[in-house]
Amino acid sequence: MSPVPIRRAPVTELTARERASRVLDDGTFRELIDPFENMISPHLAPQGITPQSDDGVVVARGAIDGVSAVVLAIEGAFQGGGVGEVGGAKIAGALELALRDAEAGLAIRPVLFLETGGIRLQEANLGLLAIAEIHAAIAALRRHVPVVGVCTGMIGCFGGMGIAAGLCSHLVVTPQARVGLNGPEVIEQEAGIAELDSADRAETWRTVGGEQRVAVGLADMLVPDDAEAVRRAVREIFRAGPIADDRCRSARIEHYRARLAALDPRQPLDGPTLRVLWEDDQEVGS
Amino acid sequence: MSITMTSGKRARLARVEPLLQGKVLPTERTVEALEAVLLPGDRVALEGNNQKQADFLSRCLAQVDPSVVHNLHMVMSCITRPEHLDLFEASIATTADFAYCGPQSLRVAQLIADGALKVGAIHTYLELYARMYLDLFPQVALIAADQGDAHGNLYTGPNTEDTPVVSETTAFRGGVVIAQVNELVEPGSLPRVDIPGDWVDVVVTADRPYQLEALFTRDPRQIDEVQILMAMIAIRGVYERHEVTSLNHGIGYDTAAIELLLPTYGESLGLRGRICRDWALNPHPTLIPAVESGWVHSVMPFGSEVGMGPYVSSRPDIFPIGPDGTLRSNRMAAQAAGLYATDMFIGSTLQIDADGNSSTVTAGRVSGFGGAPNLGHDPRGRRHSTPAWLGMGTMTTDRGRKLVVQTVQTYGAKGTPHFVESLDAVQAGKDAGLPVPPVMIYGDDITHVVTEEGVAYLYKARDLEERRQAVAWAAGATPLGLARDRRKDDMMRRDGLIASPEDLGVRRTDARRSLLAARSIADLVEWSGGLYEPPSRLRSW
Repeated sequence: MSPVPIRRAPVTELTARERASRVLDDGTFRELIDPFENMISPHLAPQGITPQSDDGVVVARGAIDGVSAVVLAIEGAFQGGGVGEVGGAKIAGALELALRDAEAGLAIRPVLFLETGGIRLQEANLGLLAIAEIHAAIAALRRHVPVVGVCTGMIGCFGGMGIAAGLCSHLVVTPQARVGLNGPEVIEQEAGIAELDSADRAETWRTVGGEQRVAVGLADMLVPDDAEAVRRAVREIFRAGPIADDRCRSARIEHYRARLAALDPRQPLDGPTLRVLWEDDQEVGS
Repeated sequence: MSITMTSGKRARLARVEPLLQGKVLPTERTVEALEAVLLPGDRVALEGNNQKQADFLSRCLAQVDPSVVHNLHMVMSCITRPEHLDLFEASIATTADFAYCGPQSLRVAQLIADGALKVGAIHTYLELYARMYLDLFPQVALIAADQGDAHGNLYTGPNTEDTPVVSETTAFRGGVVIAQVNELVEPGSLPRVDIPGDWVDVVVTADRPYQLEALFTRDPRQIDEVQILMAMIAIRGVYERHEVTSLNHGIGYDTAAIELLLPTYGESLGLRGRICRDWALNPHPTLIPAVESGWVHSVMPFGSEVGMGPYVSSRPDIFPIGPDGTLRSNRMAAQAAGLYATDMFIGSTLQIDADGNSSTVTAGRVSGFGGAPNLGHDPRGRRHSTPAWLGMGTMTTDRGRKLVVQTVQTYGAKGTPHFVESLDAVQAGKDAGLPVPPVMIYGDDITHVVTEEGVAYLYKARDLEERRQAVAWAAGATPLGLARDRRKDDMMRRDGLIASPEDLGVRRTDARRSLLAARSIADLVEWSGGLYEPPSRLRSW
């Protein structure tokens, strides 16, 4: 018998910087406000937390299929990817510059790697402000170009950044991803273990996992935990071009209102049941 | 009833007979049945180890009337469930002989201090089983099986574990054996018979399947690069150097990292077939890539592991498989194999002292060590020879020695040094009134210490002073390590007492997670061809 080690580059194993670099055309990665500029959060050290010199956000320029691109990647390994004042401003500022380019008729391809629990609690209101700016920028930008969100795991994408994921015109996920508003731990803490046992990982993934989100139409593309597959998926989306704004999930308010109204909250609802009820909802993007 | 049955047993069975249909006890009458069978002061074996638990019977035992049943002397591998200690709080039991109480060690220490629990002794598994044959044979045994029939025949599935020893030591000394089963089946339809029906007196269907813990599963995602570096150091500095072919791995991320480096790093060194062939080991999911890459010749397991059943069944060339196609484990036999048939034990610890003594006991806790002291010592009665064993010999003796290796990072996760001047176990032992301090592995049994600094070859130390020097070197930047006389480092390196990664040809920058043959539970499932079924709490997809 000969050894057959699994040879893959799992995207979940990559740092934010590596993710950004791997999605861009080879050799085009160029970082803005890189760690050597030392733009760090002033709020962490007073609270006894070691800051990071990029504040956990990588802003990268480069090209995707030869077209100018901007990649915003959140480092989940630093403070659970929490968005604070500096990191949030880096993302919002980059998206606003991308919007200016798009409005001027210049080609730009925005990609967001979202590994984050949402707002960094230590910076509360400042993170909240930044996230509001991010939301506004994504909503404006997607009228011009696809705004591609990528959730790979293992942190997941929750809170205000879960909303940002929902606003993206296209959302790419791996089976390891989790996307939602409240994270499983928060749901357990607030609603009790009977509502959701966050230690039951399979149950968590059946509810907010990548595969489930694609099956019920709340994400668009499911790709394996592989950097090459993510790179291909992102390219495929940009080649297909933008979709009409009213086809974006967050614009289809009446559609989702009707879907929710049809559910009976008194009946227990689990992931597999929702899949059956909503299986016809995979029309966006894919 | 047989004419050879002791009068004591006959009387016990006569008291419970009105509740039985043949040997079958209705589930809801179990507490009553226990009150009928048990007498105050009885020695009771309650099956339960760190994996499988006769938890229905233990929950029922905790409900008996203490005015009827009291002063029991419990003989059990592990005190792990909350109701095990409720027995002592309610005075249903007063004495315990056991091997391990990890999850309950704080409460055990308190009950000892309050005088509610008298400790006979804290044993290793093998010692406890041996004493059950010799002087601690139970009057009543409470055991667990997957299936049983009306004749008392039992099928234990892959988790046979302690069931044979607990039932045999009871059945052949005039005791009563009561078995909880997940399922009662028609006579003749058991997949195989693990315990013959004439050893078993009462069979009861449990309210739910017996508790089974996935204790030996380590998620590869949690393995960090320091652990990978240490695994590389161990492979080069210990496994390769001594040609270790038969071994036992303790539970932990350090040894899981080694298992996952065999098909990659080990392969690149050309070591397949030369090391790590025969294992006394539970079916660790992290061993799957090594099995599938042709490294492993045989595994003798103590128990099974949750989710590994179908995969293990697919490899009858590696694991002991019954004619029914499922694993047959046996904790006592695997402990014996680990003691006498393996060349090496390697495991982690929480504290190592200046002399090399090692213990996982920390302040205020009395946990016992299960099998570790048994596996982790040199059995001086060994007479067969292998290159690894013989290579441990010294100039003064021409016999060999088992390799006993402790692998541990110098500092723990919260910045606590793992190397200390004196073990917490010493004080904990005094506080609990134990006759000897609860040392897991004695310094003079340890042949190697592996840390991120490299390997300390303690077996080469000519005296205690040299051993202390080598331990302090391995202790790196801990206070114990910093206090050493650094001028002796070069001499120790020349004498082969210590070796850094560079001395061993290990490049620190190569210690990357990409070197692991599997980096997630999902990868392990893929390696197993989809046969490994990880428990729900370990799935991240």
